[in-house]
Amino acid sequence: MTCSEISGVAEKLVQAILKRGFEEASAQVYRTKSVMVKFANSEVSVVQRWDMFTVGLYMTKEGKILLSEVHPTTFEQVDRLVDRAISASAQLKPSMLYAPLPEPAEIEKLEGLVDSNVLKTMEDPGPLAESLLSETSKADRVAGALTLTYTEKGLANSRGAKLEEAYTGVEAYLRVFVGESSGQWSYGSRRLAFDKAKQMARTALELAERAEGEPKQIEPGAYDVLLSPMVVGNLVNLVGMMSSALAVLMGNSIFARVEPGSKVASENFSLFDSPRNPDLLGSTSFDDEAQETRNKAIIENGVLKTLLHNSKTAAKFGAQSTGNAGVMFPHAWTLSVNAGDASFDELIEEMKRGVVITNNWYTRLQNYVEGIFSTIARDAAFYVENGEVKYPVTRVRIADRLPKLLSNIELLGKEVYDISWWEVNPAVRAPYILARNIGISRPFV
Amino acid sequence: MDRGLVHEDLLQKGVNFALHLGAVYAEARYHRHTSSSFFARNGELVGYGESIEEGIGVRVIVKGALGFSATSSLNWDSLREAVEQAVKLANVHSKFMKKPIQFSEARLGKAKYEALCVKPFDRMDLGEKISYMAEVWDKAKDSVKETKMMTLTARYSEDVEEKTIINSDGAFIVSRVPRLSVGYNFVLLHPQKGTIQRSQSFGGSGGLEQLDKWKVPEAAAEEATKLENVLVNGIEPPKGPLDVIVGSEIVGLIVHESCGHPSEADRIWGREAAQAGMSFVKPGMIGERIGGKYATVIDDPTLPGSYGFYLYDDEGVPARARYLYKEGLINEHLHNRWTASLWGTTSNAAARAMDHNSEPIIRMANTYLAPGDHSFEELLEGVKLGVYMKSYMEWNIDDIRWGQRYVGLECYLIEKGELTKPVRNPVLEVTTKSFYSSIEAAGKELRFEPGTCGKGEPSQGVPVWFGGPDVKLRNIPLGVVG
Repeated sequence: MTCSEISGVAEKLVQAILKRGFEEASAQVYRTKSVMVKFANSEVSVVQRWDMFTVGLYMTKEGKILLSEVHPTTFEQVDRLVDRAISASAQLKPSMLYAPLPEPAEIEKLEGLVDSNVLKTMEDPGPLAESLLSETSKADRVAGALTLTYTEKGLANSRGAKLEEAYTGVEAYLRVFVGESSGQWSYGSRRLAFDKAKQMARTALELAERAEGEPKQIEPGAYDVLLSPMVVGNLVNLVGMMSSALAVLMGNSIFARVEPGSKVASENFSLFDSPRNPDLLGSTSFDDEAQETRNKAIIENGVLKTLLHNSKTAAKFGAQSTGNAGVMFPHAWTLSVNAGDASFDELIEEMKRGVVITNNWYTRLQNYVEGIFSTIARDAAFYVENGEVKYPVTRVRIADRLPKLLSNIELLGKEVYDISWWEVNPAVRAPYILARNIGISRPFV
Repeated sequence: MDRGLVHEDLLQKGVNFALHLGAVYAEARYHRHTSSSFFARNGELVGYGESIEEGIGVRVIVKGALGFSATSSLNWDSLREAVEQAVKLANVHSKFMKKPIQFSEARLGKAKYEALCVKPFDRMDLGEKISYMAEVWDKAKDSVKETKMMTLTARYSEDVEEKTIINSDGAFIVSRVPRLSVGYNFVLLHPQKGTIQRSQSFGGSGGLEQLDKWKVPEAAAEEATKLENVLVNGIEPPKGPLDVIVGSEIVGLIVHESCGHPSEADRIWGREAAQAGMSFVKPGMIGERIGGKYATVIDDPTLPGSYGFYLYDDEGVPARARYLYKEGLINEHLHNRWTASLWGTTSNAAARAMDHNSEPIIRMANTYLAPGDHSFEELLEGVKLGVYMKSYMEWNIDDIRWGQRYVGLECYLIEKGELTKPVRNPVLEVTTKSFYSSIEAAGKELRFEPGTCGKGEPSQGVPVWFGGPDVKLRNIPLGVVG
């Protein structure tokens, strides 16, 4: 099936829904082919391949909103689902979030979203997998995953939109073990650059080698923290989610009691949603309501510039759509953090009593409105004193408030990295970030 | 059970074709989820959704390498292509294998089963279900006096999971498990004291009869009242060391995280090292001490009504209760047929896949700490100064499942054996060994909480229960959120 055939399917579905008595309809059709090589103990643990055909439907009647998702092989299967939706609609009440589908916008199509290198490598990912393992051959063992994806997306709606787009994607990450120490790094893009994938592998190895030696525990307290792009990616995923206007409405956001225009972070820090950069995994020309996507600052020089809206949340907040629909849940497409001007060595030199955290996971919150959270370091982490890396540390946890962390950002690295892995989705382009006076915790007993 | 959904002939043809192409093992799993859900904010409906997710997942072993392929098209052309791709990919990557994949011998099932459902989902109109969930808002907002219910979202979800599993070693399993899950998330706001937030879920296999047991609107109202008290009157916890009574909700999470996960043999082997992490448990540690006599943790997929219910795993192995820690000793790991082969044992039926797009991997089902013989009052007795942590929000654990942190939400001071003032945000930050070694007494009442456990790449979320009794820990230092 070609891309235009996919949008034709979407259009046909919209017509079928309208004929059944719905007032508005939107259909999104995805055909995704992907292959994943998963590594563990320096060998391939499994190779997986998918061929998915997914239809997402949005239907409204008298302000009632119904959504359906199905993997159909025939139109009859979709018909049955629409029949069920019609029968359900009789018992629903209007949605508190309802707003009419917006007029389709003029869309300037992004070029360069499909990389033939990805398509070719999908046929046989073996050589790339082999080169990742070979870059880390000095390690005791390696784990990770290499995923290559090709997607065709079609969108049609009852306002006359009929759009299509195709894109590729690559995500590669490795966790490299040297003795008892480990380092992890990742790389994500619409385009496959072998040298960047190999650099990712070397960075993971280098971190593992640097962390060799008996790690020590440090006392709980306030420290300077230098967060790697992996950690920044994880934490700004959280900030990005919280910037969705629906997250604000649901009480899951530090922006629930903050107006755009307020200072929410250090003036050194800016966070962007960057869907129009075709290098970045997640980039796309149009959103789920057929509105053109646009690059925008969520936070600029520490000031909250906008929440992320679709037409529904925009109507609720008296704002304009920001081209971030999700038909229900507005979301960032791909996030990027501004670069600073410090080299890695300069960042270290600026630390008085600090911790370098190169990877983290399990970021969990006690309270989303107040941003009370903790997150656990994994892989290489180091204690730094007076600008000098002293020794590797273990079992440290950042335990603080997200607004304080954002406000205490002091310096940013000048190099940015494209990060995407298990704990960072959507993908993030970010530098190293130094924040002052952040709570560090560890087990008491 | 809908005979039309079984697809036995198609699956068998796929398995035979894989063997014909050179696979030494092949399995084909038809997997379907039929779901409906809605959510509401402050009593008003936001949206209603339905989904049908179905397809076939194929797994093969070729020249010692494992290949997996999935298709959402239920026809022979698509399945044939999926089989060809799985075999081809495994074949190509077999050169990387240092230790070829082998499966242990297993007695596989030929069976059909359904989870009990007393009151099927269609016994209640959608309108009634929406009204039931609207009551959560009505009752909860009316239950607070000094605070304002800033926001409350309520969600309701029904799912029917149907599977047919056929493999080249003779398994033939057909199953149907309906599951119900509801939950709420609210934020209370006080002009001077700030906010307090609670997220709570209810879930199990079966039908609408579970709503009568859960009484969700009443539960939300009760929690809102108690958490208002914590927000308005809560004091900072004493730092200790002191006695801490850890509520069953937190105990359940602790045993899931610090016993269930580190007992997964694929994690111990390193297969999940770059994603869900590793384990402090190493090969050869069966029989080593991890705690005291109360440290008995069981994972049992066969619990009737449980969220993680199944009778056969996705490799066709019959399920049974697994005693992971037993009276303080590491006793048994969770195995599929691959890790059982590595350990020289037999699978204990831990292979589960989230959906047709997912490979079966080692998962927990319903993990719980064995109950003791104390009433709650008996646990309180003799505590001069302590803290009772009933519920939590924030938690996390390191990637070998050793250092962990739980921040209490509804918590109280214990003075001279009685609950007195509410306590705000106490932090229990312990190691796995210190937790299991510090249990001085366990309650006799066993309670379960539902969860969606994440693991694998791509990440698979599967329904589980985790549970336990209230337990008393001795001499535990506490922290507080700064």
